[in-house]
Amino acid sequence: MSELLLLARIAGRRIAFRALDVNSVVEIDTLTPVPGTPSFVSGLAALRSRALTVIDSAKALELEQATTGLEAIVTEHDGHLYALQVEAVEDVAEALSEPQDVRGSVGPGWEHAARGMVESSAGPILLLDAGAIIAGPAHSALRAA
Amino acid sequence: MDDLLAEFVAETREMLEALESEIVAWEQVPGDKARLDAIFRFVHTVKGNCGFFDLPRLAKLSHAAESALAEVRAGRRQPDSALVDAVLATIDRIVAMVDALEAGQDYPEGGDDALMAALEPSNDDGGEAAALRAQSVDKGQANSPGRDGPRSIRLPVELLDRVMSGVSDMVLARNELARRLRDYGVEPTIDGPFERLSAVLDDVRDGITRMRMQRIEHLFNAFPRLVRDLSAELGKQVLIDVEGGEVELDREMVEMIRDPLTHIIRNAVDHGFETPAERIAAGKREIGLLHISARQSGNRILIAVSDDGRGIDTGKLADKAVASKIASRAEIAAMDEDEKLALIFEPGISTAAAVTSISGRGVGMDVVRANIERVGGTIDVTSAPGKGTRILLFLPLTLSIIPALTIECCGQRYAIPRSYIEEIIHSRSGSAELVQMGDAWLATVRGERIRCLTLAAVFGIDQQSGPQRATLILVRLAGGDFFALAVDRVLDHEELVIKPLAPAVMATGLYAGTSLLDDGSPVLMLDIAGIARKHDLISDVHRRVRRELPGLEHAVSAENGVPVLLFTGLDSRRRAVRLDVVNRVDKVEPTSVTLTDDGARIVLDDKVFPLAGVNRGAVPEGRFPILRLSDGKCELAYAVQAIADSAQIDGEISPAARAGEIEGIALVEGEPVEVLDCHWLFASEQRGSAVLNPATCRFDGNDPWLDTILRPLAESAGYRVVSDETQHADVVITTNGLGDGAGSDADGAGNRIRVVSDPDIAGREAGTIYRYDRAGLLAALAQARMGRVA
Repeated sequence: MSELLLLARIAGRRIAFRALDVNSVVEIDTLTPVPGTPSFVSGLAALRSRALTVIDSAKALELEQATTGLEAIVTEHDGHLYALQVEAVEDVAEALSEPQDVRGSVGPGWEHAARGMVESSAGPILLLDAGAIIAGPAHSALRAA
Repeated sequence: MDDLLAEFVAETREMLEALESEIVAWEQVPGDKARLDAIFRFVHTVKGNCGFFDLPRLAKLSHAAESALAEVRAGRRQPDSALVDAVLATIDRIVAMVDALEAGQDYPEGGDDALMAALEPSNDDGGEAAALRAQSVDKGQANSPGRDGPRSIRLPVELLDRVMSGVSDMVLARNELARRLRDYGVEPTIDGPFERLSAVLDDVRDGITRMRMQRIEHLFNAFPRLVRDLSAELGKQVLIDVEGGEVELDREMVEMIRDPLTHIIRNAVDHGFETPAERIAAGKREIGLLHISARQSGNRILIAVSDDGRGIDTGKLADKAVASKIASRAEIAAMDEDEKLALIFEPGISTAAAVTSISGRGVGMDVVRANIERVGGTIDVTSAPGKGTRILLFLPLTLSIIPALTIECCGQRYAIPRSYIEEIIHSRSGSAELVQMGDAWLATVRGERIRCLTLAAVFGIDQQSGPQRATLILVRLAGGDFFALAVDRVLDHEELVIKPLAPAVMATGLYAGTSLLDDGSPVLMLDIAGIARKHDLISDVHRRVRRELPGLEHAVSAENGVPVLLFTGLDSRRRAVRLDVVNRVDKVEPTSVTLTDDGARIVLDDKVFPLAGVNRGAVPEGRFPILRLSDGKCELAYAVQAIADSAQIDGEISPAARAGEIEGIALVEGEPVEVLDCHWLFASEQRGSAVLNPATCRFDGNDPWLDTILRPLAESAGYRVVSDETQHADVVITTNGLGDGAGSDADGAGNRIRVVSDPDIAGREAGTIYRYDRAGLLAALAQARMGRVA
């Protein structure tokens, strides 16, 4: 299978998204905060006259450290545009296998967004689902229950 | 369907639409020749067209109707009610057949002969014709597809929306580009084309906006027929009076209010009006009057439906509310009339004793209200027992562009839909007193206590600081509830293109959407109703809250402020004009303006109107808005740069120092605004039309005062000033003493006015006027002109 993956870093870990799900990679310079939203929603940003909902990926995965980088991955989900903030966007690589289950848990937080391990031209990597990150931690709590 | 046939269907529809109201009018006055002719023409044309197609049944029917009407036209037959019913039934049948034709179906056989028999003069069984009609109406309603305007192409609204949002995005992208261009400095080779692109885009946006607009006539035209059929069925007599059909509003909005309005009218005819006998017993005319009007006021449309029926029985309403457990007896007892009246919007309330086929189908005013609110409108009902009911709908002009007020809170900008905003109060100004009740704040405005929310606290940013140093925005919710929202600062009025928000943001219940400001930054539109709901200021408890604010609505309406429209004149100054005289706002091409010596003229709808306001600045190069002012008889246009908003002048208007276009200065939201003197405007324009053949006036004497000071006055009084002494002058004005001027005969002047600089002399000597006695001078000039005419 020759699917392309976008490699990025969240909270110090290397992860991948399907390149098909990714519209573009942007740098978020100005953020409009949205009071009242859960903390993983960083705010709104404008991209080519469209409003993006900016999501802090690390917070959405309930990881300890918040995302500090400027880079974000733009993806469309249910008709809305989102920007997933990541620590860094690293590379594009070719997927060499279907996602496979990782033995045991990949850790709380990661668990609900993880779609398995993918062998890639850049080595084995954890594939994340952008939609699950957008849904936020509340979603994972529901799933756990 | 082949093209010719489609053309025939479209043409028939077009004629029918024009005919709807004629039919009802004709029925009321069957002897009305003009109406009869219109209906005759219709059936005649249908018959003629049928000849081109193989449509024998249509041809036969229209022929029968035509013959019957021809008899009436020739005076050989009286248009009795049986005939009227038969003709209407035939027209209905024609409509149904045309509908079937369009859908490609066969119209069910039979029934035609009965109709044609009903059209025969010998038939005196009116009941049968009426029954036939009712039957055909039912059939017609059952399978009539949604009809479109005349000669129009049908477009899915989604497509229009897509184009519209595409254009809106283009505008935003253009704005962003413009900003970048400014940042990078001026580049003439780019600037020119960009300007052109920008202008074209504005035009396109204008066109798209208008593409979505439709005259409300399309909706109103169907009402006379609806009312006629309903009242016939219910044994009532109702006269319908429709006004303001030329008001335009968003196509989709027209569709959205179709059902609510129909429901309101059904209600009025069914429950509102008494039977003729009851009306006579109550000392009223036996025919009830249903008045439907539409008016544009600022960027809102006001639709009023009023009847002179029995009014809403609040006692019954209250009993119903208790019976259906909407409110307790104690709650009802504490309510005033208005609050009881508002019960009509509660789900599950219906005042009709019996459920009829017309209304009371379980669709209540609550659904009507929900539908109106869904499109961003509000609904208001007032009623006087025995006198009638009036229902007012306030609607925004379009669905996707929302006029909003941008505000600042905690360093961020937010937008509030302007429709909610009742008033803006600066708490520092002292007009609102703030007190703390536990953690809650109450604002006292004109003696009323209003719950006050601090936006920062609503957001959970700052729970501590109170609203003392903030600006209070008095918000009126659809149900009539008030609360005050404290924000840091009010920024600006903006028209925002609202886009939906991601679910994670919507889940907060605080925001209704987002939009991009001109500088490209996103701004959140607050969901005022959601915020109120979150703080228990509406829904279940809203009656309680309303009771906390007794009489507030009266307090606000009793302010008796002067409603005005704020605008920017061509000279970029802020002005206001009394809303009552503004008929409508139009956008015009500069080419429709003609500048003449005695003022500007504008061509609107093939008529020439005086155009005021242009002497204050050049006529804009692109399309520009005009205000169409009317004094009831005359209309004139006033050119402006931009329309700002509607507002109220609560304080006094301090009069201007001299008579002119400006009546005076008033404070609107703390800022001075010039108020147009409509009397002066109309007076001077009347004069404008009278000056076509101006009287002449000559100044006698060398006093420069005459030429510099008096000349404009004489000209404004309709005189042309001539300087040539040999020329005939209708009036001569002199500053010379009585003795030293030449005799009036020598001037060849009919009249002589002497002005003096000493008021005492003017008082003593007949025929002299003090030079600053404006009224006296004008009277003398007017008299002189009268003399000329005589």
